[in-house]
Amino acid sequence: MAEAALSLRGLGYRAGAAALVEDVTFDLHPGKVLGLIGPNGAGKTTLLRLMAGLLRPATGEVRLHGRPLPAWPARERARRMGYLPQHFAPHWDYTARELLRLGLERGGSAEGLEEVATLHGVAGMLARRWSSLSGGERARVLAASVLATRPGVVLADEATAALDVGQSLALMRRLRAAAREGAAVAVVVHDLNLALAGCDRLALLHQGRLHALEAAAALAEDARLDAAFGVAFVRVRTAAGLLLSARDGG
Amino acid sequence: MIAWLLPPLGLLAGLMLGAVTLTPAEALSLLADPAQPLGQLLWQWRLPRVLAAGCVGALLALGGAVFQGVFRNPLAEPYLLGSAGGAAVGATVALLVALPLPQWLALPLFAFCGAWGATWLVLALARLADGTSIAALLLAGVAVAALLGAVRSFLMLALSDETVSLQAVLAWALGGVQTPSWPELAVLAALTVAALALCLALARGLDLLGLGEAVAESFGLPVRRFVALAVLAGAFVVAVSVVWGGLVGFVGLMAPHLARWTSGPLHRGLLPRAAAIGAGLAMLCDGAARALLPPAEIPLGLVTAAIGAPFFLLVLAREARRG
Repeated sequence: MAEAALSLRGLGYRAGAAALVEDVTFDLHPGKVLGLIGPNGAGKTTLLRLMAGLLRPATGEVRLHGRPLPAWPARERARRMGYLPQHFAPHWDYTARELLRLGLERGGSAEGLEEVATLHGVAGMLARRWSSLSGGERARVLAASVLATRPGVVLADEATAALDVGQSLALMRRLRAAAREGAAVAVVVHDLNLALAGCDRLALLHQGRLHALEAAAALAEDARLDAAFGVAFVRVRTAAGLLLSARDGG
Repeated sequence: MIAWLLPPLGLLAGLMLGAVTLTPAEALSLLADPAQPLGQLLWQWRLPRVLAAGCVGALLALGGAVFQGVFRNPLAEPYLLGSAGGAAVGATVALLVALPLPQWLALPLFAFCGAWGATWLVLALARLADGTSIAALLLAGVAVAALLGAVRSFLMLALSDETVSLQAVLAWALGGVQTPSWPELAVLAALTVAALALCLALARGLDLLGLGEAVAESFGLPVRRFVALAVLAGAFVVAVSVVWGGLVGFVGLMAPHLARWTSGPLHRGLLPRAAAIGAGLAMLCDGAARALLPPAEIPLGLVTAAIGAPFFLLVLAREARRG
């Protein structure tokens, strides 16, 4: 297997007395999409923020291409790692072109602004301001800006949460496309069926700990999934793969 | 385009307005003939005064633009935030207390420390409440400004004696540009240019900060360090403006807003336009302050407040509608 793009070793984070993330160890590999799943409060978002270097771990470390995250100069790191937040609302009414330019200014991109815009299907909306874009268009513009430098690691924090089903699938396709081009992708996903369809592997988090890390199809069959979510899943086999439907287990 | 027209318009209006009001043609012909007694008057008094007002306006606008960017809040402004009030407290101490420092050094130094301290206090209070929300920031700003106003009044009452005229301190505090000598004006102009350069160096960081702290950080901006640096720069800009122009409100609110309407939110375009608009506005208002009640002068701060307060309410209403 190729060398890990991002590796987590014994990662832990506390808020006061509570451990939000505890002793998490795994690697992200180029060309693969890892889904982070788990019930609310499992520590998915905290873990992703630790991976992005937005939070400082209490224990353990994150290495980007073998080098500890804090040792990277800020801009070098920014160019190699893209972060899609859960909620994104710019404080000023930037145009799509301005947002794309801010993304590209991290440097190192072989493509120009127009090329990147065409690549991500936002060429037609460059002159429009954020306030005039629809939810789906906003997601496309943000993804274009974050992915503009073709970062080797892409971290997406429930970026599909505010999107309808079609837009969610479109964003997932875009993340998969980034993986095909060599990026190591980690994405927090709430919708388990979306995670099954879009991810190569799934990491199941529960109470801040990594409970399982399996190929997506294997974890879908795993009883630990039911235990973590406190439900009994009905597993429906379809031509497109397994579908999960929750039934009250209590 | 409109942004660049305002300074020459303001300059012309500033030259025309005053105890003796001139037509544009008269003002220009007198300017071309400094040998005439009236021309001499124009060169010695009115022109340096108008240019000083322009510099003060540009500085206020830059301070406003930087603070709006740092606080990510369209209502942040040196006067409302308390940074100008902090600078005024510092300057009052420098004016009234016998210090082992020459006053040309003590005044800006104390004003800078006051502006810096007050801005941090507001930032810390607003963060305690709710980060960058408009309500939190305004409440923190109002509280700090009120406190600083009280401290300043107390200092003025407690420390003034026959050697320092209370009226002089009061007139300065209400906001009024003094007429500088040409060498003094050169210093102020140099500081204004330096302030513009300093703020432009912050432009990219301010743009990134507008994306929210998480995305800004992930795009390579060390957010904490940058905010500390930008507050320092903003305090410097505000201190220079307060030392030269006293407490002049709302120019720092209006100018960045008008600039944003003409150039969009990116700070590389916004900052120079805001400075131009601020300079033009201040020159116009200073002219009005000299012309409205001749031969007396109305404090500049009163004129800018008369225009700025309704503007503030307008922006507040817009923001409330945006939610």
